[in-house]
Amino acid sequence: MYAWKCWRETRASFIFLLMLSTLPALLVTLGPGIKERNGWWHFDRSEYTHDPALMVHLVSAMILSVLLLSPFLSAVFLGATASGSEIEPGTIEYLWTRPRTRASVTWIHWGVCLAEMVIVAVVPTYLAAAVLGALTRNWNLPLLLLAPWVMVIVGVPMLGLTTLMTALRRSSKGGLIFTAAVAAVYMLLRQIVTVPLHLNLPALFAGPLVWLMTNHQPDPVAFPWGSLCRAVFLAMAFPLAAQYLLKRAEV
Amino acid sequence: MSEAAILTEGLSKSFEAQTAVSQLNLRIQPGAVYGFLGRNGAGKTTTMRMLLGLVRPTKGRARVLGLDPTNETELLRILERVAFVPQRKQLYGWATPTELVRMNKAYFPRWSDDAAAQLAKRLEIPMKTAFKKLSIGNQSKVALLLALAQGAEVLILDEPTAGLDPVMVDEILRTLVEDHVSQGRTIFVSSHHLGEVEQICDWVGILEEGRLLLESRLEEIRQEFRLVIASGEGLPDVASKDVVSATTDGRFRRYVVAREAEGFAAELRGQGAAILEISPLGLRELFLHLVRKEDACTPGNVGAKPAPVSSFS
Repeated sequence: MYAWKCWRETRASFIFLLMLSTLPALLVTLGPGIKERNGWWHFDRSEYTHDPALMVHLVSAMILSVLLLSPFLSAVFLGATASGSEIEPGTIEYLWTRPRTRASVTWIHWGVCLAEMVIVAVVPTYLAAAVLGALTRNWNLPLLLLAPWVMVIVGVPMLGLTTLMTALRRSSKGGLIFTAAVAAVYMLLRQIVTVPLHLNLPALFAGPLVWLMTNHQPDPVAFPWGSLCRAVFLAMAFPLAAQYLLKRAEV
Repeated sequence: MSEAAILTEGLSKSFEAQTAVSQLNLRIQPGAVYGFLGRNGAGKTTTMRMLLGLVRPTKGRARVLGLDPTNETELLRILERVAFVPQRKQLYGWATPTELVRMNKAYFPRWSDDAAAQLAKRLEIPMKTAFKKLSIGNQSKVALLLALAQGAEVLILDEPTAGLDPVMVDEILRTLVEDHVSQGRTIFVSSHHLGEVEQICDWVGILEEGRLLLESRLEEIRQEFRLVIASGEGLPDVASKDVVSATTDGRFRRYVVAREAEGFAAELRGQGAAILEISPLGLRELFLHLVRKEDACTPGNVGAKPAPVSSFS
């Protein structure tokens, strides 16, 4: 039943995020075919059939660029509804006096948000891939088929970070602000270290996304396994830290 | 003696330098309706939260239905059998009472749909309106409905009528009394509305600055407790173990005596005092005498009958 409550509370954000990802993905997929002739807009499918492989490559890159922020946005907005956010408004007294462990509450919320993140990543990408494949009649779309899963892998640590920050700040707003602050400080520090010192630091956990965006064809040999391991570690470590914090919290 | 529904032994809680609850010994028998009285900040809410695992004790121990709320496994068993109505009746604003009932039902194996339906009808709760759009009175009724339909053995109610108008208060109290009569649940209710407590409780405990000043049957207070007003020189602060409090009011000295008031008055007369009045005490007068602080010689819990401390097995 707590899963239903999580769904009910995140439903509006989920639908908004889904629309926010799906509409631009479809627009950039259909964009090359939209032409103006004699003051009228029409759709010219031949744009997709001259050089289907090139079109798949170009449009795939465009789809990925518009969907790039989607996993982060989903993670942050969904994660901010974690149980820690109930402390400030006071509903936590109700929640924590139900016969369920605080750990189970943390992980059920995490699971519901993860499922929503997967849908927000998969639906727009695969829908755009289906449209692109149908228009070009080229179904060789490895980048698009892999993309949502890579996006989820990179988004999950952010979900955990937001869950932790929400527990730390005991409110949704505080969790959002702190997550944004941590991400901004990390990126700033990385820039400070990278640019003046000319160091080529590997991405902490966003490596798979960088790999996806910089390879025309996914190359398993170049896959950043280290970054993937860090992503998986952080994806588990942040919610565990939140669980520990909430278990010890007094209200 | 049967196992206490709620038992605390030397229970204490401090928040940094601030002591919220100090050495609290309570023993609440199954089936009792226990009024937990105290001024704002006396430690009532903190005590209740410790019983429900929302706050950890700094010292001492608590048992609810024989189970330890600081142990996670035992706490889950407590929460299955205890219903709680917090002071801030804050539930999910987006949910309607119908949705809250559906949500709550899934947590409690002994949930009663019939009881929920009857209470909704009797308390005239608008079940299809979002919780945030309900009046404070209706929000309190929803919280009470969820607690009563849960099929709990113990109800812990933290100021269940705070902020309600007298009609609503009366309705909620009547519901509680009828529920107690039909279900025989233990009710542990905190309040600073003494009239309400007199209306429904059979036991009272008075808490002040985290210390239990007095615990007694309400019946005993009505029948035995007396206010003795004496005047004279050099009257003692405390002359007997039955003296619950002694305060000075100008030339007069007021004693609250738990029993044997006549004998105590005779003792004072023997010391040269003039006894001006021996009168029965209501709960209100008793409460005010115990918690008033203007007189430095108010002994607080001197002579008060502490809760019997039982050993934990």
